Amino acid sequence: MSEWIVRFSRRQRVEHLLTMVLFVVLAVTGLPQKYFESSWAEWVVAAIGTLERVRWIHRLAGILFGLLLVTHLVTVSVLTVTGRAALTLVPTRKDFADAVTQLRYYLGVSDEQARCGRFDYRQKFEYWGLLLGGVAMTLTGLILYLPIQTARVAPGELIPVAKVVHSNEGLLALLVVVVWHIYNAHLAPEVFPMDTSIFTGRISRERMQHEHPLEYEAILAQQRRAAEAAAAGEGAQAGAAPAGNVLEDPERAEARDRVSPLEP
Amino acid sequence: MSEGILRRSRDACAALLLLAVTAGSGEGAAGRQVPQRPPDADECLACHGEEELALDLPSGERLALHVDLAPMIGSVHEALRCADCHAGMTEVPHPAIEARNARELTVGLQATCRRCHFATYTKTLDSVHAAVMAQGNLAAPVCTDCHGAHDIRRPGQPRSRISQTCARCHAGVSAAYAESVHGRALIEEANVDVPACTDCHRSHDIADPRRPAALLQTPELCGSCHADERRMQKYGLSTKVLQTYLADFHGVTASLQRVGRGDPPRLAALCIDCHGVHDIRPVDASGSPLMRQNLLMVCRRCHPSATEKFPDAWLSHYEPSWDRAPLVYGAKLFYAVFIPFVVGGLGLQILLHIWRMVVNR
Repeated sequence: MSEWIVRFSRRQRVEHLLTMVLFVVLAVTGLPQKYFESSWAEWVVAAIGTLERVRWIHRLAGILFGLLLVTHLVTVSVLTVTGRAALTLVPTRKDFADAVTQLRYYLGVSDEQARCGRFDYRQKFEYWGLLLGGVAMTLTGLILYLPIQTARVAPGELIPVAKVVHSNEGLLALLVVVVWHIYNAHLAPEVFPMDTSIFTGRISRERMQHEHPLEYEAILAQQRRAAEAAAAGEGAQAGAAPAGNVLEDPERAEARDRVSPLEP
Repeated sequence: MSEGILRRSRDACAALLLLAVTAGSGEGAAGRQVPQRPPDADECLACHGEEELALDLPSGERLALHVDLAPMIGSVHEALRCADCHAGMTEVPHPAIEARNARELTVGLQATCRRCHFATYTKTLDSVHAAVMAQGNLAAPVCTDCHGAHDIRRPGQPRSRISQTCARCHAGVSAAYAESVHGRALIEEANVDVPACTDCHRSHDIADPRRPAALLQTPELCGSCHADERRMQKYGLSTKVLQTYLADFHGVTASLQRVGRGDPPRLAALCIDCHGVHDIRPVDASGSPLMRQNLLMVCRRCHPSATEKFPDAWLSHYEPSWDRAPLVYGAKLFYAVFIPFVVGGLGLQILLHIWRMVVNR
């Protein structure tokens, strides 16, 4: 059996890469505007050239981020409605139970660890934090970009509210990424120095067994069924063979709960 | 810049205090028994006491050479010798004057002041006045135009004298200032808290106030008084004006436009753009453009397409509270709790994770 399993489709990897680049650009051009009185803020503005250029870059990156967000939402909606993707990121009651189990484990109250599926409760938390935070940042960013137009259709006080939300939500996002995401993707002993799966799209079988045992078991079960079906209906209907196309089309892999051994 | 103003106003206060103390002890300038006079006055007045003494200049102007000693008595230089300033004039007959006209002679005599007041003279070289002079405009003021020649007194005593001095050339600005909240307090009440011309513009190194770099300094300039709790509480004025301005979009823009390269294409709204420059009036004066109902007109100076609700985006220098801008305050409060809660919680889980790993070993 292969030692690597496909975890992320090309679309998901590109989405992550774009989000990462835009996030850094937005943070670099946004933070100096929040901490405008600090000397490093002045340094950043001077290094980029002028405040006007800083804002231009920030707004361009913000618009691209908003477009990425909308594209993501539309894509996921279409894939879900057409049955080509499962809602593996929707929080369930089990996630709350998992969090409690895991906390009890960390505290040494029990030795039982939570057994998670495709995404554990931490990853779901981060995904929804980014998604909802992204929506808040995009909407408030647009209000700050177009204050005159905003005041035409909404109370003027919405503009300073948007400034407070944009400023604080941006800081929160940065702190979550610096503290939480950098720890989980780089510093945690399990992945140190770096979890490469979001860039390569694949995850080792060993980590899969440890971190996503329920998903791993589902994959094994599915592969077994597929093998049985193939053996039973050999040569009957080519279109019904599921395992063959999975390698070429990661999007379809999602539809089959990622039943996709990948040859290294 | 603001430090200079503080220092100057402190000096002015100290000078006033000294004056009060010395006047009380009867030893001040007014109480002095025998007025000083230049030690060589008699010698010079032998000729320059003549009413008719004059010199014809190449320009055709007739330069009066008669010296009246009266204005010199009580001047800060009253004990100097005539020749201390009029160097080279100890020779009789005097060396020939090279100036073609009276103005050239006056301008040339600046070198005289420089001999003692070198630091001050050097400062004037950075001024907009010196820049105008350097362009060949001899009408630009030199030392004696502001300070006088034989009758030099302390320029800021009383402080209202400062604006009178500037008014000799800047009549329009001075008239507007005299009607402003600052000008009226200075001229009518001899108020020492309000700025005279030199408090904002400085005295010797007066920069061109129209330069973007100078304009972008105005928040700190106004703030040097308006963020000063002791000075403002006398008048019941809020000291939050500077911080609330800076925290707003205009203030952030002005702060960061200063550090960018080159001049910004369009400056952020500064204190003076809403409140005025020389004609600043109290915001609660009737008909003030800054009254809430008139504010849209002020916004439209820069945002011509602004509509009725747009001025509500500006919190009028108030810090958000439940009474003022409750939505803004609520949002601030929410994040003040939410950010530490989330980040603290995540940090705690990371520490627990590490702790369990260590324990497992």
